[in-house]
Amino acid sequence: MLRVKPPGAFAWGGRLCHDGNALTQSPLPYVDHFGLSAADLRSILQIALSTGGDFAEIYMEHWLYHFINMEEDIIKETAESISLGLGIRVIRGDRTGYGYTNDLSMDKIRKTALTAAAIAGGKAAHSLPPPLRGRAREKSVYAVRRPAHDAPLREKIKIVRAANEAARGYDPRIVRVKVHYADSLRHICIANSEGLLARDSSPIVKLACVAISEKDGKREVGYWGGGGKVGLEQFRDVLTPREIGVEAAREAVTLLEAVDAPAGEMPIVLAPGHSGVLIHEAVGHLLEADFSRKRTSVFWNKMGKRIGSELVTIYDDPTIPSFRGSYNIDGEGTPPRKTLLLEKGVVRGLLQDRLSARLMGGAGLTGHGRRQDYGHWPIPRMANTYIAAGEDAPEDILRSVRKGFYVASLSGGQVEDSGKFTFSVSLGYLIEGGKLTAPVKQATLIGTSSGTLKKIDRVGSDLAFGLQTGTCSKDGQDVPVTDGCPTLRIEKMTVGGRTC
Amino acid sequence: MLRQESSGPAPSLRDLAEALVAYARKCGADEADVTVIDGYEFNVDVRRGRIETLVEAGSRSAGVRVIKDKKTAYTSSSDLDMGTLRRLVRNAVRRAGLGNPDEFAGLPPLAEELVDAAALDLCDPAVAGLDSKTKIALATETERAALRDKRITNSYGATFASNESRSVLVQSNGFAGEYEQTYCGLGIGLQAGGTDDRVEDSWSSSKRHFRELEPPEEVARKAVERTVRQLRPRKIRTQNVPVIFEPTQTSWLLGFLFACVSGTSVYQKATFLEGRLGQRIGNERITVVDDALRPGALGSHPFDSDGLPCRRTVVVEKGVLRSYLCNYYAARKLGLRSTGSADGNGVGPSNFYLEPGPGAMSSKDIIAGTKKGLLLIRTLGHGLNSVTGDISRGAFGLWIEDGEIAYPVSEITISGNLGRILESIEAVGTDLEFLSPVTGPTIKVAEMTVAGE
Repeated sequence: MLRVKPPGAFAWGGRLCHDGNALTQSPLPYVDHFGLSAADLRSILQIALSTGGDFAEIYMEHWLYHFINMEEDIIKETAESISLGLGIRVIRGDRTGYGYTNDLSMDKIRKTALTAAAIAGGKAAHSLPPPLRGRAREKSVYAVRRPAHDAPLREKIKIVRAANEAARGYDPRIVRVKVHYADSLRHICIANSEGLLARDSSPIVKLACVAISEKDGKREVGYWGGGGKVGLEQFRDVLTPREIGVEAAREAVTLLEAVDAPAGEMPIVLAPGHSGVLIHEAVGHLLEADFSRKRTSVFWNKMGKRIGSELVTIYDDPTIPSFRGSYNIDGEGTPPRKTLLLEKGVVRGLLQDRLSARLMGGAGLTGHGRRQDYGHWPIPRMANTYIAAGEDAPEDILRSVRKGFYVASLSGGQVEDSGKFTFSVSLGYLIEGGKLTAPVKQATLIGTSSGTLKKIDRVGSDLAFGLQTGTCSKDGQDVPVTDGCPTLRIEKMTVGGRTC
Repeated sequence: MLRQESSGPAPSLRDLAEALVAYARKCGADEADVTVIDGYEFNVDVRRGRIETLVEAGSRSAGVRVIKDKKTAYTSSSDLDMGTLRRLVRNAVRRAGLGNPDEFAGLPPLAEELVDAAALDLCDPAVAGLDSKTKIALATETERAALRDKRITNSYGATFASNESRSVLVQSNGFAGEYEQTYCGLGIGLQAGGTDDRVEDSWSSSKRHFRELEPPEEVARKAVERTVRQLRPRKIRTQNVPVIFEPTQTSWLLGFLFACVSGTSVYQKATFLEGRLGQRIGNERITVVDDALRPGALGSHPFDSDGLPCRRTVVVEKGVLRSYLCNYYAARKLGLRSTGSADGNGVGPSNFYLEPGPGAMSSKDIIAGTKKGLLLIRTLGHGLNSVTGDISRGAFGLWIEDGEIAYPVSEITISGNLGRILESIEAVGTDLEFLSPVTGPTIKVAEMTVAGE
């Protein structure tokens, strides 16, 4: 499930995609907060394997956050948080034992290792795990010039105020504005019984604005935001707070004039960028390896087979510099790689984590084993998912539709393993005679993955990415993601509008 | 010991909270409060007869609010090292200085009355007493019972989860309270049909008391029934028809109503129910209550995160909006009284439910009285807008013809507006059960748009 905008129109979260150009890559200094030597880690791994597990792993995390909330033109709240903890995983065959603690005393860590080890319930098959070896990293996907974590609060407040003022000043019909800022710096260290020792420090920033408009007693809400695995320079060089405020206000004001969405099946044109939500739901989740291994996904037996139109090629790439969904190592220490999921409509790959790759007969790791935090074990997840650009000019695609529905911005979507999926449009337009006419209020679109993929009949040349504020939820774990797509035409889909 | 201890042996949770409040005051905060939570979690997933994952863990965290010169700052940490916590509190007091004064900021005065936590029956020693074997066996038996049905073709696995936690709140106004609570849950997700025409659903039972948990056979039976009834769905054409919400669906509708009566949404003008207090917002069949004092219920608790006693509030009475749900801050902004609904920094429901009135009827009779319509059994996606009340969601249902269930339907959407739905609820069922904190019985809405072909 992707939430670009959280439930409850005025809650925090975000959607948006602006194409952040790669900045100079500068790795952040890693700071070790755990105080565990390589020898300590090795002895903990040995305890974890003491009941016959065939794989053990220690995941340590020290995560620092800052938040600022502004509403009614005042800085209402600021917050600073620390999340410190360690999780230990033991695998035997297809069984996983997991324990975690935020008490990092050696005694408590040993107990946690034994808790995780209980799953194996046998005798130790291993001698001492191999020595731990760190690997040098070639380059970082984080693009930080002005680290947000260390920047003074005043500087961040200035950014928040700029977004607020821009939204406020956009139009007299804007009656409420709320701005949320968050940054975090997450230090992780992962050691496993195969001798891996991996470390990373990843930064993330986000600025989001919600604006409410009012006219003749009728109200609407607009949302915009941005950020990524970047520093504060993002809000100077790539997407300014002013643009974020203006776009939120513009959406809220546009919706005041919007009509109810039509209901029923009709041709759909998707705007570039935002509409990547469709691919996230209709394809991405269903090609996460755990759903294939368990055969719950409608695509579990479709490897090498055609499931969509020839025009559709899809990648997931966690290595795009500066993107919200990018990372140097995944939640089990694997450096990720760009993964081809669909090539001209044919299934070519799955998003793998260690467990699924082992159980699927040694499939290659793709570096998609992600976790929300130390309280959770890694599962296959998307990072930055997109449809590759096609050849059609976007204006030709629009011109080709006599009567249909244009999806301008989305607030999220959801899919189940059977392939039925929805996505929620927060702003759309009617297409009449090949042109955009009246703005349309929120509506949910529903389809099935295989049906919809086959009906994608035009793909534009204008690949773009959505707002750098999206969050994906699966099995109770939230991770940051980005989606992208060019202008697309779908022959027909069901639009959940109103006729009463 | 691996990390530098800056303050000797670990204090009790209560002592820790009191020490932090005192320290915040010493650092210059006018007011402060500290919440400390100590939790233990157990979770086992069993799939195809084998344990897939088993999690056991304990964790603690502290949250601090400081107010200085009518400016608020927060901090929280799962690192309970006293040196770290003191640094965070110092930072928070300093940070508060950079905010703007807010005349409504501040802790409430110390409440005169207290709710007796013991009377709420939030804690079951039997949950803490369960051994791992029993818990694993419950999940295993649930899945085995479900897989006995040959129409079931795959399983997401069965889960048993339990939770024990203690919450402590200490405030500089003199309030100090704590309570323990337990929770246990048993559930399963299933699929039926072949790869290309599969359907899925799940069922789970969640309770504070182990003896009230549905037994494995019951959980399995409900999950199987909910799954197989969707097999071989049809598509229907777009039309406006009556929509009957099953209790699981009434739950999300009420969750949406909660978002629209939350005092925070009201002062932010983020709800279409702003300015409607005392007015009719629905027909006489609509009575909605938020009751934190139901003994043993999942949403009950003795005091809220403002340290105010929780209570029973009639939110909508026979269609008239009687109360918004407020924390102390939203209440002051709106010139109202807190309803004891503070939840973290915001407002949360306790047991928030639609109460069947004298005219309530059985769900069977509601269906029998429907010539043509949709029985809504599942929804997919977001599509709820509290600012406008608009609803548009992906849906799965059973088509009703001449008072009987005719066939399943899928790949449809339902849409409508909460304001109009509240005015047009034609029937309320008697089948209210407290299966989740936000809950309701079967309801029948006179007309919504169901979009299909």
